[in-house]
Amino acid sequence: MYSLVLLNGGSGTRMGAPRPKQFLKVNGIPILVYSLVAVDAVPEIDQIVLNYPEGWRADVEKIVHDYAVRTPVDLVPAGATRQESVARALELVANDDVVLHEAARPLVGPGDFARLIAAPQRNVSFMAPIPFTVAPVDPETGTVTGYLDRDRLRNVQLPQKFARADLEKAHAYAADEGRSYTEDATLVAAAGLSVHFIDGADSNIKVTTPTDIHLAVSLLHGSDDGE
Amino acid sequence: MSEQRSVMVTGASKGIGLATAERFARRDDVGQVVVVARDSPAFDQAVARLEAVASPSVKVWPHRVDLADRAATLALVDDVYAMHGNVDVLVNNAGYTRPEPIHQIDFAEFERTMAVNLYAPFTVVQGLLHAGNRFEVVVNVASTAGMNGRSGWLTYSASKAAVINMSEVMREELAIYGTRVACVSPGRCATDLRRALAPDEDPATIMQPGDVAAAIEMLASDVGRFVDSANLVVRQ
Repeated sequence: MYSLVLLNGGSGTRMGAPRPKQFLKVNGIPILVYSLVAVDAVPEIDQIVLNYPEGWRADVEKIVHDYAVRTPVDLVPAGATRQESVARALELVANDDVVLHEAARPLVGPGDFARLIAAPQRNVSFMAPIPFTVAPVDPETGTVTGYLDRDRLRNVQLPQKFARADLEKAHAYAADEGRSYTEDATLVAAAGLSVHFIDGADSNIKVTTPTDIHLAVSLLHGSDDGE
Repeated sequence: MSEQRSVMVTGASKGIGLATAERFARRDDVGQVVVVARDSPAFDQAVARLEAVASPSVKVWPHRVDLADRAATLALVDDVYAMHGNVDVLVNNAGYTRPEPIHQIDFAEFERTMAVNLYAPFTVVQGLLHAGNRFEVVVNVASTAGMNGRSGWLTYSASKAAVINMSEVMREELAIYGTRVACVSPGRCATDLRRALAPDEDPATIMQPGDVAAAIEMLASDVGRFVDSANLVVRQ
């Protein structure tokens, strides 16, 4: 069985909203709800460790209650950084395998979690091909410093799954090295542990701006009418 | 969801509700039919009829409740989920009307109309969701009177307009569970409620409850997903 660590503690400063982005609504529904409902339909996940922004515990508890989430939920305060949030959540994880997800990705459904869990390796991330050209640059001098082969690059997505022991080792490694990472697949790989990827969908957007909300609503509604 | 579906029909003592309950009770892929109506001899007869025609796989469970009573409706929801488990198909059919012109509307009657026609279906849906129910299909029975206001029918028309709109919201919000929400708006149909609205009409000349029940059964079937994206008008 798996525990889900559901990251829900970001400040949402890019959204420019008066409250954390997890409480903003996509199609009239708090964005957090999409992940909770999707995971609730995944039988292999029997624990949700859900973090919350400082001062918003009661709001998170009300959402979990109102939507009658059946999977047991453990709440934990968010850390100062994403990395710290994951480390704190790991302390409450009851299973040997962990799925990581973030509430800001509302378009992930039960089938996506099932596909991730079905992958034969234990450390696996959804990653999407990059359909455009990226370049390494020196922002100080405003110069392009070389070339990157996009076939060898991927857009890192969530959800991801890890052996809990590997994720703990990787976080200990980062702490020892004094380094910070913005997500865990590259953190675990940097710690010398193997991480695999499976192809993700470009519809699995991270909602971080008001424009993203419009895009997410459009994607939720599916294709327009017409033959 | 279980292989044999659980169906709940409100307003099942007569008319469209009874005809709908009977259609589901006859099906082999249904395990239980929960029927709700006010306590009355008509409901007793309806339950006896349903038990007589039910498929061997179907158990009929009557619940005697006045859906104008919100506390009783909330208790009903708790009882239904505790006693019968998940409701897969919910048909919110119960309706009430006492048509009067604006100048003669008794506000208590307006409140009762809204309580039965609008607040009760909302309360049943919300209560079951809070209990952890995952619907496959919700069918809300509105009316063509909710699409166009009719002189003398203010309370009924307004309540059914709200049901049509509420159904649109439910359709969007419950999509996160994969739940389909359909809304059906019958036109003139030979029911007691129609008799209250149009007492001089010959019921033999208009659409029968069984016709609407057939449309509701279709909406709850696999093919229903192709016609449930908008209010479905059923009229002669």
